[in-house]
Amino acid sequence: MAITYLPPVRHVLPLTTVRRTRELPAAGAVTVRVNEKVQAQDVLGEAEVSPKHFFLDLARGLGVPEIQVQKYLEKQTGDLVNADEIIAGPAGVARRTVRAPSDGRIISFAGGKVLFQVRGRKAEVKAGFPGLIIATDGVRRVTLETTGALIQGVWGNGKQDYGLMRMVGDGPRSRLQTRLMDIQLRGAVIVAGQCDHPAPLQQAGELSLRGLILGGMAAALIPMARGLPYPIVVLGGFGDFPISAPIFNLLASNAGREVAVEGRTPSSYEIYGPEVIIPLPSDHSVELPEDVIPLGPGVRVRILRAPLQGVVGEVREILPRAEEMPSGMLARTAVVSIEGSGPARVPLANLEVLG
Amino acid sequence: MNANIEPDTLLAIDVGSVHTRASLFDVVEGRYRLVASGKALSTAGPPLFDVREGVRIALDELQAVTGRKLIDDTETLIMPVTGGGMGVDICVATGSAGPNLRAVLIGLMDDISLESGRRLAESTYLTMIEEIGLTDRRGEDEKLDSILRAKPDVLLVVGGTDGGAAASVLSMVDLVSLATGLMPDGDRPHVVFAGNRTLAAHVAERFTEATPVALTANVRPDLEQEDLAPARTRLAEVVSESRANKVAGYDELVQWSGGYMMQTADAFGRMIRYLSQVYDPAKGVLGIDLGGSHTTLAASFSGDLRLSVRSDMGLGASLPGLIQHTKLDSISRWLPEEISDADILNYVHNKASYPATIPAEKDELLLEFALAREIMRSSLRLARRGWPRKGNLRDSMLLPPMEPILAAGGILARAPHPGYTALAILDAFQPVGITTLVLDPHGLTSALGVAAGPAPMVSVQVLNSGNYVSLGTVVSPVGGGKLGRPVLNVRLDTEGEGEGMEGEVRAGQLVMLPLRLGESGRLTLRPEKDYDVGFGGPGKAGALRVSGGILGLIIDARGRPLILPQDPEARRELAGKWLWDIGVRE
Repeated sequence: MAITYLPPVRHVLPLTTVRRTRELPAAGAVTVRVNEKVQAQDVLGEAEVSPKHFFLDLARGLGVPEIQVQKYLEKQTGDLVNADEIIAGPAGVARRTVRAPSDGRIISFAGGKVLFQVRGRKAEVKAGFPGLIIATDGVRRVTLETTGALIQGVWGNGKQDYGLMRMVGDGPRSRLQTRLMDIQLRGAVIVAGQCDHPAPLQQAGELSLRGLILGGMAAALIPMARGLPYPIVVLGGFGDFPISAPIFNLLASNAGREVAVEGRTPSSYEIYGPEVIIPLPSDHSVELPEDVIPLGPGVRVRILRAPLQGVVGEVREILPRAEEMPSGMLARTAVVSIEGSGPARVPLANLEVLG
Repeated sequence: MNANIEPDTLLAIDVGSVHTRASLFDVVEGRYRLVASGKALSTAGPPLFDVREGVRIALDELQAVTGRKLIDDTETLIMPVTGGGMGVDICVATGSAGPNLRAVLIGLMDDISLESGRRLAESTYLTMIEEIGLTDRRGEDEKLDSILRAKPDVLLVVGGTDGGAAASVLSMVDLVSLATGLMPDGDRPHVVFAGNRTLAAHVAERFTEATPVALTANVRPDLEQEDLAPARTRLAEVVSESRANKVAGYDELVQWSGGYMMQTADAFGRMIRYLSQVYDPAKGVLGIDLGGSHTTLAASFSGDLRLSVRSDMGLGASLPGLIQHTKLDSISRWLPEEISDADILNYVHNKASYPATIPAEKDELLLEFALAREIMRSSLRLARRGWPRKGNLRDSMLLPPMEPILAAGGILARAPHPGYTALAILDAFQPVGITTLVLDPHGLTSALGVAAGPAPMVSVQVLNSGNYVSLGTVVSPVGGGKLGRPVLNVRLDTEGEGEGMEGEVRAGQLVMLPLRLGESGRLTLRPEKDYDVGFGGPGKAGALRVSGGILGLIIDARGRPLILPQDPEARRELAGKWLWDIGVRE
């Protein structure tokens, strides 16, 4: 029986069109226009977030009964006021007043009190990579795109930056060690096979790294990694994961270029995950990546579980019947050709498409 | 059954966080049976963000297996059945896929209304972001900001007994009203009021039309009584509606099902409650649905359902949450081979990254079952805070008598040998007395829960069909005694066979007696004087008719509570021995 199976797709593409939508945490002001070219550090928009609120007790402040407050009001609901500006008063012989504690807005008056909103902190969203603005709603969302290489990862520490990419160590299995990290790497984005110790992560911070790209990282380092100021993208998984050969080759061939390290922490229902974007010029239009690739012969896949965890191969065929695994579990399987070794039978559930 | 009213063919669709399943039920020889199922990876998340593609693929597979056309050329479900035998008479749906909703709980007293509110929130797919109560020392403005910062999808307001506290409840409602008024129109949360019901009209009038308000029965009608059931149903509806707005395609399932669509956990709970009304009223019924993103534990005592949904523990994307509830060495203690803490932690996070993956190697399978044990244990420990309290301290530490214990979901349903699942349930729940372990290998329980609305005979008949598998009857004596000491004498006379078998079971033993699926027998138990098997107290003997199971009859004399050796090597050896005892290892 022919079946349709839509496995997860992870993009590893040497040249594609990368289109990303940046979103402010709240409605604000977009500061770029469609067709404008932007650089990685350019701010695309700003918004005020988490404004604080205060109840100001006017009756008490003015020293008058609650029902008399109304006649002393100097401001109305919705008014913007500056710090120290009078909201109500003067009242009584002492000419008492209530003033704005800071710049803000009057939200409401009720029960002799005013609800006052103080301006929140300013949040901004940056481009993240050089590109062209192709759409915006003017208040919250901006879509930009570029051409370049795209490598999607498995995990990120929630940070984002842009810098010159350098390879560290002697191959996709190299372990990140402090002795490999010298002052020459200051301000760079570095690529290493794996990391299983906190010391190199610490040292990377001291070198003001702009980013760290790893094949594998010990899961025990997650809490520390989350607190680091620079972005980390893990490409393969947690534990003893080298960088898969095609991904390593793609990174190595672009060493010395500037890359965007977008260390988003993955979430089941977020559109974007952690990724590395390497902007590259193109003299022709390039297709957007395919997000949905049904599994079938010829499709390049990565094996996600032992015993061939992390190995990249190509689907030769999908077997019509469920097969028994060494664990005893029955699963639909594919025969995957692996370079340098024979074909392997792998559960469909343990494959992701590299496309 | 009224054949004119009861539909013949029923399609049940379940959209889980990992898989989408379509199950077809039809009348075979006068009774409803599961005909076939189709399964696909769910598509509620990226890149499609639309559950319909997963549903379509699952239906394609179902069509291919059955040869029955279910979908027409416009990709619409054919309903009712056509003259040519295409389509189905009725469709029901359940769903758990989609982001959890963010909730803020507002109430009065921490150990009264807020405690009931927490339990209510735990019965569905909510993540509690913030709590505000009477004893909260923050100023009103800080409370207001905390609600706004939480960006809630649901504001759950509880507090006051019926006819009781009014001013303090309305003061809380005013704060909620103020907060919703400060939110942008499109982002306003649902307000669910489950407090003093005499205030309902006052509560409703405090909100504008832009804020959807659901008024439901008080979770705490008086100080001594907690009544979550009506509010749980209403909250589940609100959650369902809110999620349908967040995940594309659910609206189509609502349409196909003619409104018979429920949250998966709610439907699962409904079925467990039904079972508790038909089984031994002296015992409860326990159900566990171990999913990828959620673990649902439903316990029902004579129709009184206690439903607990853990969105922070599942055997998939939410697996790292388990580490907040248990230690790594609590996981490794169930393993027959040594696996380092670092490797366990790596496994947990890799599995969360790829929740649909399955263990292809034996050691990974054993690790996955060790994780499943701890998820079940932690879920039980947390859920029991909301169960009725009975008996003395020792009783309260043990699981109350349950009949049956029903297991569904993920690795429990797909185990390569039923012994893995049975042993995991025995280790995790440690049942006492006499119970039956039942497996739902096809994930039908939630489907039957929702089908009970439009087609109750489907639920009743499928439940009693071969679509559920009895793993076996379990006898778990309770009592103290040194390892190797006699616990009970057991005699099993299998019906239709000549000589029975008799023997002594000693403390520490896990004994399997042959009583095949479909067979019945008379079981006579004579416990030692300080062991209780549920015949009215320690030392009391008795006999009962028991049914066979796929594993036979299980005598679990390993002790209650189960105490594992301190020495890691001895513990691993014992874990391996139990796998051998239950038939997994040969």
